[in-house]
Amino acid sequence: MSTALVELQGVTKIYRLGEVEVPALRGVDLAVSPGDFLALMGPSGSGKSTLLHVLGLLDRPTAGRVLWEGRDVTRLNGGRLAELRGRRIGFVFQMFNLVPNLTALENVELPLVFLGVPGRERRRRAQEVLTRLGLGDRLRHRPNQLSGGQQQRVALARALVTDPALLIADEPTGNLDTTTGKEILGLFTQLNEQGRTIVLATHDPEAAAVAKARLRLRDGQIVGVER
Amino acid sequence: MIWDILRLSLRNIRHRGLRSWLTVIGILIGTAAVVALISVGQGLQRAIALQVERIVGYNTILVTARGLNLGQRIRLDIEAIRAIPGVRSAIAVRTETAYVEGPGGKGFLAVLGYDPPMEEFVAEMDLTVASGRPLAGPGEVLLGSRTARVLGAGVGDAVTIEGKSFTVVGILGAQRAGGFATGGLSLTDLLVISLPELRQLFRGPELVHYAVVRLADRADMALVRERIRDHLRAVGERNASLTDFEDLTRNIQSVIRGVQAFLAGIAGIALLVGGVGVMNTMYTAVLERTREIGVLKAIGAKDSHVLFLFLFESGFMGLAGGALGLLSGFGVAWVATLIVSRLFEAQGAFTPALTAGLVLGSLFFAFVVGAVSGLFPAVRAAKLPPVEALRYE
Ligand SMILES: Nc1ncnc2c1ncn2[C@@H]1O[C@H](COP(=O)(O)OP(=O)(O)OP(=O)(O)O)[C@@H](O)[C@H]1O
Ligand SMILES: [Mg+2]
Repeated sequence: MSTALVELQGVTKIYRLGEVEVPALRGVDLAVSPGDFLALMGPSGSGKSTLLHVLGLLDRPTAGRVLWEGRDVTRLNGGRLAELRGRRIGFVFQMFNLVPNLTALENVELPLVFLGVPGRERRRRAQEVLTRLGLGDRLRHRPNQLSGGQQQRVALARALVTDPALLIADEPTGNLDTTTGKEILGLFTQLNEQGRTIVLATHDPEAAAVAKARLRLRDGQIVGVER
Repeated sequence: MIWDILRLSLRNIRHRGLRSWLTVIGILIGTAAVVALISVGQGLQRAIALQVERIVGYNTILVTARGLNLGQRIRLDIEAIRAIPGVRSAIAVRTETAYVEGPGGKGFLAVLGYDPPMEEFVAEMDLTVASGRPLAGPGEVLLGSRTARVLGAGVGDAVTIEGKSFTVVGILGAQRAGGFATGGLSLTDLLVISLPELRQLFRGPELVHYAVVRLADRADMALVRERIRDHLRAVGERNASLTDFEDLTRNIQSVIRGVQAFLAGIAGIALLVGGVGVMNTMYTAVLERTREIGVLKAIGAKDSHVLFLFLFESGFMGLAGGALGLLSGFGVAWVATLIVSRLFEAQGAFTPALTAGLVLGSLFFAFVVGAVSGLFPAVRAAKLPPVEALRYE
């Protein structure tokens, strides 16, 4: 029936802080189709990260359903979710979040380690992706020996090495200067043109502009869609 | 994949540098203490078994007052025991108190009856003479060094024992111990004459400190023991007990093992403290790497991957501490036994034992202490919800 890659149906997420309930998402319906490039926008605290986490199967909704390629994965156990994440989803974060004591190459190999890909093939694939992103001469560098833009490209390589169906990015340019941010955004555009499905959250109108569609969030609800 | 996770663990340990070392040292100290105590204890057991065998021998029965009390005397006739079938040879250590007169003094002194097989039987009975020569015939006496001074006698002088005259042929050297062999008497305070002559001086029921009976090659231990008991009953001795080599070593070994278990238990506490150190390090590591754990989970790590990542870290630190502790513990044991051997001039080789069981056991135990101490932190890391870990500052 549905052709959506991932679909949220009436998703609500409520955080409980002692007695106080903090609603982060309130009845969100959203379908992400293959080839989409969506940008989530909205003020701080509006629920962008929370929505990305639910889309990326990192967090479970308090109410509502999550369908992955038409299959209800809301109640799937943690191990299965981890495997789905490992195979089908790539994450890029604002803080790059590379493992500090691993080289660029090793960081990119990491998702393949958890998938059980043998060392040789792992290295070949990681090297290939890094080279494609212009880091062929930085394979043995550690994160603290790389600039912010280079680190974010390594993080992007790590997200792409498993050839994921969905790429999720939470403010990927938030910690970069304008020029470097533009470079990264260029990479996203390129990836989408090659058919990669992307959802990113951003405060930056320029970043949002490269997406094919913009969703506006406020207080945990989608208040506007602009294609 | 498990190897890759192991490699990551090693990388993280190296990355922590000094902190890893300090943690490893905690385990090292505990393991070293346990290993040192056990290897010294086992070496001691071995040395004592050898010593007991030298003194007593496998096919040997010791006849003493109850409770292996060598100070208290028992009544027996050594000739009658020698006549028991299956007995190859037997000696009794017998001393009597005699009135002795010498050129420069007199008094009541202890006289030991010397029987040539004694020295073979009783390694500690060192009758080496410092001056003169050993006993060779009747009418001769050896003097302990202090006795010689009391009597004012030297080699060639005559002393009278219970009215009978003896010629001093030798003075014994300064004695180390000798208490065991002579039932608490030091050889320095003795006169030594031949056993037949002691018998002639003191007739009647023979009181001895102890007797050592050696069996013929194919003799039946149980049967000979029974015969010796018969003899003791016949002479009216009810306070004697028989001990063979196995009884003796078993007694001594069980005492040593008890002490050793107690000490190793105390040392084990040091190892547990090392374990607490591992736990502390690992909890800190989990806290510091919370974000990283979230990232690992976001890119596909399962709970079990994270669990093993941390378990390997603590287990490996345990193992490293165990291996280094094993080496240093054995080194400490070596030095300790060297010093002890020097101090007490212990006879025979007393070296710490390093058995395969001790090596494998201590390595395994150190690994387990490390892994178990790391278990709670690792479980905490594995159970962290990925989103909370990612948000952690
Ligand atoms: N673990 C948590 N416990 C309690 N409240 C939380 C938790 N995580 C998020 N929230 C709350 O949920 C709401 C949405 O947070 P979220 O991080 O999704 O916002 P955001 O749009 O990504 O904001 P920003 O632009 O600042 O990143 C906020 O009010 C936040 O305080
Ligand atoms: Mg956010």
